[in-house]
Amino acid sequence: MSDKPLDISIRQDSETRYFDLSSLKIANCMGCFGCWTKTPGKCVIRDDATKVYPCIAKSDKVLYVSRLKYGGYDTIMKTMLERAIPVQQAFIRIHNGETHHVQRAVVPKEATIIAYGNISDEEKDIFRQLVARNASNMSFSSHEIIFTTESMVEDQVKRILEKWEK
Amino acid sequence: MGKIMILNGSPRAPKSNSKRYAEIFSKYCTAETEYYNITKKNHLELCAKMEDYSDVLFVFPLYADSLPVVFLNFLKTLEANPPRRKPVISILINCGFLEYQQNKVAIRMMKFFCHQNHYIIGSILMLGSGEAILDTPFRYVATRNIRKLAQSIASKNYQLIRATMPLTKKLFLMASTIYWKRFGQKFGTTKEQMQTMEIEGEN
Ligand SMILES: Cc1cc2nc3c(=O)[nH]c(=O)nc-3n(C[C@H](O)[C@H](O)[C@H](O)COP(=O)(O)O)c2cc1C
Repeated sequence: MSDKPLDISIRQDSETRYFDLSSLKIANCMGCFGCWTKTPGKCVIRDDATKVYPCIAKSDKVLYVSRLKYGGYDTIMKTMLERAIPVQQAFIRIHNGETHHVQRAVVPKEATIIAYGNISDEEKDIFRQLVARNASNMSFSSHEIIFTTESMVEDQVKRILEKWEK
Repeated sequence: MGKIMILNGSPRAPKSNSKRYAEIFSKYCTAETEYYNITKKNHLELCAKMEDYSDVLFVFPLYADSLPVVFLNFLKTLEANPPRRKPVISILINCGFLEYQQNKVAIRMMKFFCHQNHYIIGSILMLGSGEAILDTPFRYVATRNIRKLAQSIASKNYQLIRATMPLTKKLFLMASTIYWKRFGQKFGTTKEQMQTMEIEGEN
């Protein structure tokens, strides 16, 4: 999923799904915990995010494309990641030596994250730490981060997709 | 003595733990405090008001390992609309998990923001187990450390403070299970229903 439209073509028969988050209607999480306690596994806000998080859960590979801000994901991607908590349960387990939530039917995934913008070394370092933390909460079995400029994003995405289709 | 502006960056600010933490802060702070929820509509107003304060305390939760998006959006507005005089920025962050260390990335992002926008960082309180602590026998841990935070900012003797429930991970896991079971009960949802593996009704 990407925070900006990408000029890419995905083969009809392929199992790859592409979401341009910037074209979807996704409100911010209000922190009500309805998805854990009221309608478990379903967000109470019935907008486009409800189509995205089931896909995240089912995928064994994910590619996230986001602009960076202060060393973290910028608004569009961060909004979606916050709305993805219905894939977890309220209940806690000990995972990698820390307390984390039990996951519902979430397939462990290889994550590739393309972080773009005018990125300083300090921001890269913060982002690496952030994605390492995400790995524990978002079921990443492995992760790779690619830092790039905005103009190079599409080339990088195509490179990853070719690798996947092999 | 300066005046302290408390800004709540929780997406559920009016009903948040952050609000309760802010109330405890105000109660123990010897300096004058003024409290505001950050809403979608008041960003510019809050940015302009900041110049009236010597210190700003941001109170917010950890969301997906970093800053809640509503708070991130406020920082972006603040970056574009800086106050004429810049206050010292202090932070009270709380996270749901036991380990206060899980807040570290968010703190690094805040430091990056402050550095880039020429704000001095004051005190920081990193709180673990922040979803539940106020309604447990360990409330005193939160209260005591928030009081320390308030004193440090009022005296400009800025500090880094860390706190969480004094429980092993295993006991925390058991306590949190009871907490969430009760949360579900309020909506007539059983533990088994909460444990569904289905996402949007699919498995
Ligand atoms: C969308 C969402 C994401 C969250 N992510 C985390 C997290 O990554 N780590 C954590 O320890 N707690 C996380 N929490 C838990 C909150 O930090 C915790 O419930 C906090 O007490 C909420 O504070 P508030 O009531 O002031 O908003 C998350 C909560 C929500 C709703």
